[in-house]
Amino acid sequence: MRKLILIVSAVFVFTLQAAAQNRTITGKVTDEKALPVEGVSITTPNGKQGTQTEKDGSYSISVPASAKSLIFSIVNFESQTKTLGANLVINVSLKTRDIKLDEVVVVGYGTQKKREVTGSLSSVKGAAVADKPVQSFEQALAGRATGVQITIPNGVLNTPPVFRIRGTSSLSLSSYPLIIIDGIPSPVGDFSSTSAAGNALASINPNDIESIDIAKDAAATAIYGSRAANGVVFITTKKGKSGKAKINYNASFGFTSVYGVPEVLNAQQYTDYKNQAIANNQNLNPVTNRFNLTNGPDGKPIDTKWADYVYRQGFAQDHNLNISGANETTSYYFSAGYTKQEGIVRSNDFVRKNILMNVDSRFNKHVTIGGKISYSNELNLANQSTGSLSGEGFGTAGLGRTQFVTAPNISPYKNDGTYNISSAGNFIGGMNNTFAQVGFYNPVVGLDLNRQNSETNHIQSNVYLVYKPFNWLTLKSIYGIDYLFVDNEIFASPVHGDGFAGIGSATSTLGKYKRWTWANTAQLDYTIKQKHSISALIGQEQDRRTSRGFGINRTQVSDPVFNVLQAGWLLNNSAGSVHGENYLKSLFGRLNYDFNKKYFISGNLRQDEYSAFPGQKATFWGFSAGWNLNNEKFWGRMKNVFSSFRLHSSYGKVGNNSIGDYDTYSQYGPGIYGGNSTLTFSQAGNNKLKWETSKKFDAGINFGILNERINVEASYFKNNITDLILRVPQAPSTGLPNAIPINVGKMYNKGVEIALNLIPVQKKEFVWSINFNYTNIQNRITELAPGLTEVLTATSGLETVNRTAVGQSMGSLWLVRTTGVDPATGSRVLLNQLGNRVLYRFAPGPGQFNWSNEDGTQYKKADGSANTINQTADAVMYNALPKYYGGLTNNFRYKNFDLDVLLTYQGGNYVYYGSWSGLHDQRFWNNHVDVLNAWKKFGDISSVPRPVYGDNLSNGSALPMTYSLFKGDFIKIKNVSLGYTVPADALKRLKISNARFYVSGQNLFIFSNYPGPDPEVSSNGNATSGQGVDRNTIANGRTITVGLNVGF
Amino acid sequence: MKNKIKYIISFCLCSMLTISCDKELLTPIPQTSITDITSFDTPERVANQARSMYSALKNGNFYGGRYIAYGDIRGEDFINETTNGVTGFDVWNLNPTGTSQNSVKNLWSQAYYTINLCNLFIDGMAAKGTAVVGSTLSANYLGEAMLIRALSYYSLLQYYARPFADGSGSKPGLPLRLTGIKGSGSSDLARSTVAQVYTQILSDLNFAETNLPLTNVAAENTTRAHRNTAIALKTRVYLSMQNYASVITEANKIVAQSVAPFSATSGVLHALQPSITTIFLTNYVTTESIFSLPMTVTGGDNPGTQNQLGLYFVRNGASLGAAEYSLNASGIIANAGWTAADVRRASLIFTNPTTLKQFVSKYQNGSPYLDYPPVIRYAEVLLNLAEAIARTTAGVDAKALALVNAVRKRSDPATTIVATTQQQLIDAIMLERRIEFLGEGLRNNDLMRLLQTIPAKGSVPAKTPSETGYIWPISSDELSLNRLMTDN
Repeated sequence: MRKLILIVSAVFVFTLQAAAQNRTITGKVTDEKALPVEGVSITTPNGKQGTQTEKDGSYSISVPASAKSLIFSIVNFESQTKTLGANLVINVSLKTRDIKLDEVVVVGYGTQKKREVTGSLSSVKGAAVADKPVQSFEQALAGRATGVQITIPNGVLNTPPVFRIRGTSSLSLSSYPLIIIDGIPSPVGDFSSTSAAGNALASINPNDIESIDIAKDAAATAIYGSRAANGVVFITTKKGKSGKAKINYNASFGFTSVYGVPEVLNAQQYTDYKNQAIANNQNLNPVTNRFNLTNGPDGKPIDTKWADYVYRQGFAQDHNLNISGANETTSYYFSAGYTKQEGIVRSNDFVRKNILMNVDSRFNKHVTIGGKISYSNELNLANQSTGSLSGEGFGTAGLGRTQFVTAPNISPYKNDGTYNISSAGNFIGGMNNTFAQVGFYNPVVGLDLNRQNSETNHIQSNVYLVYKPFNWLTLKSIYGIDYLFVDNEIFASPVHGDGFAGIGSATSTLGKYKRWTWANTAQLDYTIKQKHSISALIGQEQDRRTSRGFGINRTQVSDPVFNVLQAGWLLNNSAGSVHGENYLKSLFGRLNYDFNKKYFISGNLRQDEYSAFPGQKATFWGFSAGWNLNNEKFWGRMKNVFSSFRLHSSYGKVGNNSIGDYDTYSQYGPGIYGGNSTLTFSQAGNNKLKWETSKKFDAGINFGILNERINVEASYFKNNITDLILRVPQAPSTGLPNAIPINVGKMYNKGVEIALNLIPVQKKEFVWSINFNYTNIQNRITELAPGLTEVLTATSGLETVNRTAVGQSMGSLWLVRTTGVDPATGSRVLLNQLGNRVLYRFAPGPGQFNWSNEDGTQYKKADGSANTINQTADAVMYNALPKYYGGLTNNFRYKNFDLDVLLTYQGGNYVYYGSWSGLHDQRFWNNHVDVLNAWKKFGDISSVPRPVYGDNLSNGSALPMTYSLFKGDFIKIKNVSLGYTVPADALKRLKISNARFYVSGQNLFIFSNYPGPDPEVSSNGNATSGQGVDRNTIANGRTITVGLNVGF
Repeated sequence: MKNKIKYIISFCLCSMLTISCDKELLTPIPQTSITDITSFDTPERVANQARSMYSALKNGNFYGGRYIAYGDIRGEDFINETTNGVTGFDVWNLNPTGTSQNSVKNLWSQAYYTINLCNLFIDGMAAKGTAVVGSTLSANYLGEAMLIRALSYYSLLQYYARPFADGSGSKPGLPLRLTGIKGSGSSDLARSTVAQVYTQILSDLNFAETNLPLTNVAAENTTRAHRNTAIALKTRVYLSMQNYASVITEANKIVAQSVAPFSATSGVLHALQPSITTIFLTNYVTTESIFSLPMTVTGGDNPGTQNQLGLYFVRNGASLGAAEYSLNASGIIANAGWTAADVRRASLIFTNPTTLKQFVSKYQNGSPYLDYPPVIRYAEVLLNLAEAIARTTAGVDAKALALVNAVRKRSDPATTIVATTQQQLIDAIMLERRIEFLGEGLRNNDLMRLLQTIPAKGSVPAKTPSETGYIWPISSDELSLNRLMTDN
């Protein structure tokens, strides 16, 4: 300690030296090619004197006689310190900084040099997510970072993607990573309560992001303790860079269109096919039950392509303006953005207006203060449910389904131009068909008259103070708020559709989600004898969240002209009630030590107390070690081969705390019976509940060859997750109101990650770089609750195809096997658990059976009673989680042209294309064109069974079957972007410093055998155990964008 | 000196690290509910809990809608209009599976949720509640709990177990749960036999009969149980067991006369109303409605989306004659003896003027569908009694004939039912039940208790008692979570 004080004092005395006499130093700063460098900051060590170089690299600075040296620094170059002697002219040649080696990454509560990091991190430059036709940055992360899996679940704008780092780390809690934006945790997920998705992360304009650092293993994440199990993503927004104020303006315009819409029967084909199905149903009278064409106003038979009413070509525009700069003491970044995007579904729009202000000011040598203000207003607009968000799959209004099931021989309009609505009002009108129902809602009415809007106002702000009393000590306090206010506004017209039964319905709810976070840290950095580097951090953090929501639902409109909540309505009910609070209090610390930049060790520790686990404390930790072999003497000649070579490994324990605020309590909730109040057992809690625990092991190797032109990062990871909080369903006959959360269950994710960075060509005029990443991952459930053999997950509460069971991967698809169609009878052939073929026949005639053996005899149980094929007895499991995924980026720069091509891929998984079942349903539903090849006569080989009107089992609607199961493997040309940078000379006269034009395409092409629009899909959104389902989901859009970046 | 200041500042800043937080923030108390340990602390909470059992019974998946609708659509008198799996298409089709969420799973879990509320209430009263409210009120409340538990078990038996008639109740019944469950670890319980479950139901109803008040405050004579409610339900339960002698014994407690007009003479004075339309369209709480479930406009106090009886039988929102199920033209509506003048046809059947399809219009209220679903009414007691007598008395029993005519003539004074043989009388009574209770959910139970084939309708073929699908399969959740459970 005494030694420490001595050293400190020495530094102190040194800095105090001041003298009265000044002298002027001049010179020129050049780069390695002897070209002048502008904007180089030249300061005395105490920071009291400073200047910058002019355009020609020259400078002049007046310094006191006491000044012993000058520091020359600028971004992208290595800083130099020149000792002052007698010479009053000092010319400096700066060396370009080896960015690769000096890259800094954000770690919790600080930064670290990338090459010194011993944990497992992936970094993505902000540029990779900027200028993309996305609503939130993480949508553009797919394929960019090793270990990161992004699935865009559907084509509804601003849907949170399925975001996984090294797999799904929880079964019933969130598996979304913790997102830290400029040091403050951010809410994640869909905060909209309407059919227009509202991803909380859309508030960050992707163009404002400087870098994205993704922490994956325990060492890198343990400092976030109980929230770190899913990985941590650090978002750093842009800050001003030294130099004069720079103004940047980006604008882009794009068109989005749908791809892969299923091809369905036209009116004539539909009419004929359904009439054939009626003829095949012996219980139906083909005279009274008949499909008929109807002539439209033009006298020709109506032939409606419903998809044309649902989809559109969407136009998007995006504008960003930012002003940034910095002098020696203060840097600032101010940005304003406006984006308006039209989705592929009619009426689905996203509009964001946002501003961001970052200011950092070095008050003096010891004190820096700064902060940011970010405000974003987002409109998530839709008129009608698309049936694509989690829980919407089987909604009657869902456009994803109506666009392919509605009969094509009817029109949205009657011949008199009014809406075609059945006389009963509840369905689209059947026109000349004899059936009361040949569709669900008339989708056009909802698209014209209804609204499902959500408006977000999101304020993210922080202020910090850094006090650096000594070179070795940094004290920092940061206080941030995150206020998210969501206004939901739903109107359902009384004319038809969802609002019909209630004679109109209007709902407005307001959700207020507030958070404050206050973190205080002390960091000690110390190097002994230039060999032992020690860096220690201790800190304390409080994180407080409250949620409040209220609203009203009004039904029975007094006049059909009214379409706002404030108009005349008869019935009023409360809606959107939310009341919650939680509080996280933590102590944490980190110790990094390295010896001679060869051996690195690091330890992280965090203790959390969380209000949702009252009375409990938990400690999380992570240790890691790294070895830089290139700095070893014995490595010898290998140094000529490798430009870098590091080994690292880590182990630690982190947690997941994302349970409800009051899940531990058993509660009685208020209700009402005939106008009198009630008190009902409403929640069975568990006061022994604690954090889920992830024990993560990681071992990796990083090396570079040819001065990093070839760089390889490979790691093995295994994440053992225990104390999984399962909402353990109790037998329904226990009559419990909910599945009880219990810490039981174990699983693991393990795999290998490889990242390959190549620069095959590096010439002045032509640079070609490649990034390839590959993640192989395996998920296994190793234990569920005692007596719990399975956890079933239903899609939209209706169809259960996801099953989680021990020995399988989470949420595997659980389907009855089919093997085509019986050539003799045209019946669907299914396999029972023994693999025996069982035939299904709808509406069997005399002597026939619903379920029969191949010889026509009844399919029976051992006791002789009738038997059926059903999921419980006969279904087989198929993994829904990809076994591998990744991306390939090729970047070319030739003269002023640049081209970036991103391919994403995944595979080894299956997708249940539930819509495929729907497309073959033999109720009134329209069918896929492949039914034209259905079985017709004895001996026909077909994949489509003989149609029998009313049959909804042979196709899989009533019994999920492998008929609708497909491999999910794909390679996608995710993004291609071609740019042209206008030569600087041409811009000079326009006083423009840089300009770039670009054209880019998103989702350009998919290589896949999947028959649906896109195997990258999720009808259950982010549901951990409900992946791999494509049920009535609208597809993704393909976007072509042209844009311009100009800098002044 | 300056260093000292730096240390002091540093120390002050560091000390911020140890700022103690507000302990209350770490132990928040839910503000929108009552914790279980205090749930029996006041008479108001106990009273509110007593009503909560009715609320559970009234849920749209149970007596608030679907249970009653299923009872009719399984039978032969209705045609499915929408092929919608959410609104009972599979039930109508007689092919729901153990994984059918909206029918098989939801009814099972809602009925058992109701049972558990009753059990928790019974336990909680013993532990604390009785001391809080006093023994008299406690006995009343417990009677209500027992009655609702009995009704729930009875209702489950009608769908998930073989009828009592099949082997005199020896077939697998239900897991019989009689203590409240608040936590995990109680999933495994084997099925008792049908007879054992019926024994428990009768034991509960007998307790209810003894402990329920003779009458409630007037407004609650229909919406909450009283002694006669228990008796009336017993006539239904015994009838399902084909224990006709007991039906007669119980019914006679509240059918005091041997000739019309019939009425109860103690407790709530139940009697047929002059017009059947009164009880469906005008006044849900007459003395004929022994037990019906109240609805109000407040959210959560009505059946909820796609559960409403009105939606199933007669209207969708503003549109009358646009329901999920129309009347089967070759079903009971085709019966020639059911005259056009019969009020039940003239006033409680709606014909869509465009489609000419006919609908049961007992539940005519539009959204939010506030018709009170009937659980049991006096007409059923009369017909239960008539049937029990007819089935156990040779020849044509005069009282039985008088009872069935009381029901018929109330709606069709011009017609008198005549019978010359015992079988004719029985047939007349069974026919009268189909007409009188159309849309009230009794058809399934009547077919089941007599082990009759479910007749064909529309595209759905008949289902004999030996065929799969005659009764429902067990909820797949129950089968997977209760290791002692067996499927049907």
